[in-house]
Amino acid sequence: MLPASLVARLRAVVGADGIVDRPEALLVYECDGYTLERAAPEVVVLPRTPAEVSAVLRVLAADHVSFVPRGAGTGLSGGTLPIGAPVMIGTSRLGRIETIDVRNHRIVAQAGVVNQWVTNAVRAHGLCYAPDPSSQPACSIGGNIAENSGGPHTLKYGVTTNHVLGVELALPSGELVTLGGAVEDRPGYDLVGLVVGAEGTFGIVTRATLRLVRVPAAHRTLLAVFDSVDAASEAVSGIIAAGIVPAALEMMDRLIVQAVEAAFKVGLPTDAGAVLLIEIDGPAAGLDAHAARATAVCRTAGVREIRIARDEAERAALWKCRKRAFGAVGRLAPNYCTQDGVVPRTRVPEIVRHIAAVAARHRLRIANVFHAGDGNIHPILLFDERDRDEVARVRAAGREILETCVALGGSLTGEHGIGVEKVAEMPLLFGPDDLVAMTRLRAVFDPEGRANPHKIFPDAKVCVETRVPRRQAAV
Amino acid sequence: MTDWAALVGPAWVASGGAADAVDGVVPASVVRPGSLAEVQTVVRAVAEHRHALVASGRGAHLDMGAPPARLDVLLRLDRLTRVVDHQAADMTVTVEAGCPLAALGAALGSAGQWLSLDPPRPEETTVGGLVAANLSGPLRASQGGVRDLLIGLRVVNADGAVVAGGGRVVKNVAGYDLPKLHVGALGSVGVIVEATFKVRPRPPVEEAVVVACRTAREAAETALVLRDSDAAPLWLQVAGAGGLPEGPGEGAAAVVGLGGIAEEVADARACVERVGASLGLRTLFVTDGAALRARLGAFAVEPAAAVLRAATLPSEVGSVMERLAATARERQTVVRCLADAATGVVRAALTEVLAVGPLVKTVRPDLERHGGTLVVERAVPDAKVGVDVWGDPGPGLRLMRGLKAAFDPGGIFSPGRYVGSL
Repeated sequence: MLPASLVARLRAVVGADGIVDRPEALLVYECDGYTLERAAPEVVVLPRTPAEVSAVLRVLAADHVSFVPRGAGTGLSGGTLPIGAPVMIGTSRLGRIETIDVRNHRIVAQAGVVNQWVTNAVRAHGLCYAPDPSSQPACSIGGNIAENSGGPHTLKYGVTTNHVLGVELALPSGELVTLGGAVEDRPGYDLVGLVVGAEGTFGIVTRATLRLVRVPAAHRTLLAVFDSVDAASEAVSGIIAAGIVPAALEMMDRLIVQAVEAAFKVGLPTDAGAVLLIEIDGPAAGLDAHAARATAVCRTAGVREIRIARDEAERAALWKCRKRAFGAVGRLAPNYCTQDGVVPRTRVPEIVRHIAAVAARHRLRIANVFHAGDGNIHPILLFDERDRDEVARVRAAGREILETCVALGGSLTGEHGIGVEKVAEMPLLFGPDDLVAMTRLRAVFDPEGRANPHKIFPDAKVCVETRVPRRQAAV
Repeated sequence: MTDWAALVGPAWVASGGAADAVDGVVPASVVRPGSLAEVQTVVRAVAEHRHALVASGRGAHLDMGAPPARLDVLLRLDRLTRVVDHQAADMTVTVEAGCPLAALGAALGSAGQWLSLDPPRPEETTVGGLVAANLSGPLRASQGGVRDLLIGLRVVNADGAVVAGGGRVVKNVAGYDLPKLHVGALGSVGVIVEATFKVRPRPPVEEAVVVACRTAREAAETALVLRDSDAAPLWLQVAGAGGLPEGPGEGAAAVVGLGGIAEEVADARACVERVGASLGLRTLFVTDGAALRARLGAFAVEPAAAVLRAATLPSEVGSVMERLAATARERQTVVRCLADAATGVVRAALTEVLAVGPLVKTVRPDLERHGGTLVVERAVPDAKVGVDVWGDPGPGLRLMRGLKAAFDPGGIFSPGRYVGSL
């Protein structure tokens, strides 16, 4: 138990309305989007400014207390689960967009600013913030930076790390340090690049300077229906081989298509093996030529049907299928768990076949909707939380899928992070020397190991309460 | 005296000579390992004897950074030249550190792809040097830099262990992004032995348009208009007076590279011409855009006493170029300037050794006050005497010292060459 005097000192920093410590109020904070494990913090602290974050951390540093940062709580790997960390620091009240520099395509936003707000703030200037995870309307910039978030448009535009020019980091000591900034090419180590994706283990990012990009002048959005995942995968490889870099290249398998059709009645054939969503963007000239080539590639791969959005409304309708796919899954089962793995994009057919085999072996239904252009798979494991045996099979199946991703030359996670979820799998990907190097790196920022402990690395993981989830993972 | 010949074979060890000097510091030995295992053995021996090591490829970029405080071994990786794995359909390539970019480019080109980084001297620039020195060229404006394309790295650390970070897939957030630690670190925290990059389809057509301007400021303003136009520049440079080797007359210019399929490029060219006409500026069409790009990229390594690299906001490029030129005039010398309008990186070439120090001391404080930086990117050894080549690395310096101490506790990797004398 935290001493009452410590909580009093935290209250003095953030005010009474910045402290959450009633057990019923803490329930909200006992998990994020990864619901298979739960642990409640003893207290949640909600600072309003970077200076308050710093002051809170100084209070904790004085007593060597560990803490876990939390943004919007949309993470999918349990990165905000408070394990061995009694204090949670939420950044939701750091919600200010501080400066917008249209001429230089820069914006400075505090950590709690919602991803979508950034684009909303600059859209009138023809600019946007490129990383667009599916949780875009809810997830925060601070969380995006912690997880190095991706989204469906990373194939062309890159992930969070490609768009963060500077951060202000509150070190676990409480010291606020500005790394990078609006000007590129600062001499010295790429500290910003190290902080992005560190999953909150280096401290708490309080504000960030982000790069904005021009909104593409035009789009061509195609929906291609195939008889099999193999045929759709062949089209993916063919599009890449043709020298086209689509803005997005998304695949949905039969189970997802059926769920989407049942939910939204968009006219998708429910006997289709796979559906590809292909988006090409850029200046208007040449887009039709690229779309024609992509279409030809799909025909060679045996496409059954191709639709091209004729206007923005039709484009939105096609994207709705993809972005709401997870919601539609709710029709298939009471609960689901979304995995995140990566394979080289040419190995997509193999991993999809493997997933089908795993599903059969474990008597599970697994739906697939994923970023095919990046080889970033998102198998959705369906289950009923009341069936304890099925929950156990979901865990085992998830592990087997990840093992195969690594065996195929891929990775444990493309955009969700290691968090607590995949700590045990890290040695599949990294050897002891690699992990030692990472822990050395961490110690430079957090010598006492108090920032988000027991994440990423397979240490003596403290037992957390594992129970059946009560709410759905939102993606 | 370590018996390097016993470690790598007598044919691959030589005494250092003047040609091997790093900023005038001649290494005792030049060692050329032929395998990853030999690199590890050499690094272990260096660590054991507390020697100092500078890793090098073909030596094309050793004039960057501060002079080494000590130098016992120049470790040349030019025998590790394999393209380990090019998966064209995955758009990735894994390559050994000593592979020259020209050779890598040839391998990728057969699949219509490229590693979209275009530093000068591609025949002499190796993959390891590309990463260690964070090299780039005009393409960075649209393609990003090393940090944006590097997805995996293998490094021999100070213990002689091989440490891997990242992987071979284009999207990967497992563990810390260790490869970023080594980008631009000048080999100060390990010896890069292998790198994996994202590659992209090479645009089948590349042209360029030169927009002739009266002043550098006008050229920089024009470039920003082009940046935000539907020309969607592949690259975008601003030349001050004399910055463009074969420009239209003596004046400044905005030079824009256009890439894509034929109809995209034709449309982009028309767009640039419209912009030029609307601003009352003359445009000059260049058919071989790639050749012009290579010439502009070579600016950074043209014979000069020093090439300075100022970083500023894109909107400040014109005024920074003018300030550099004015300061040079006051000192009765001349600078030639060439800038990347998209990234805000301005290069200034100086021919007089004695002008380097005073120019840096005059221009740097003002730049740093406004959030910019000024680095002496390359210089002949004499021009570095008494000059802080790096300038202020900012408030992260304490963490940088921590990183150096964590990854090179014995100070064996390029001591003294990096920021803050690391």
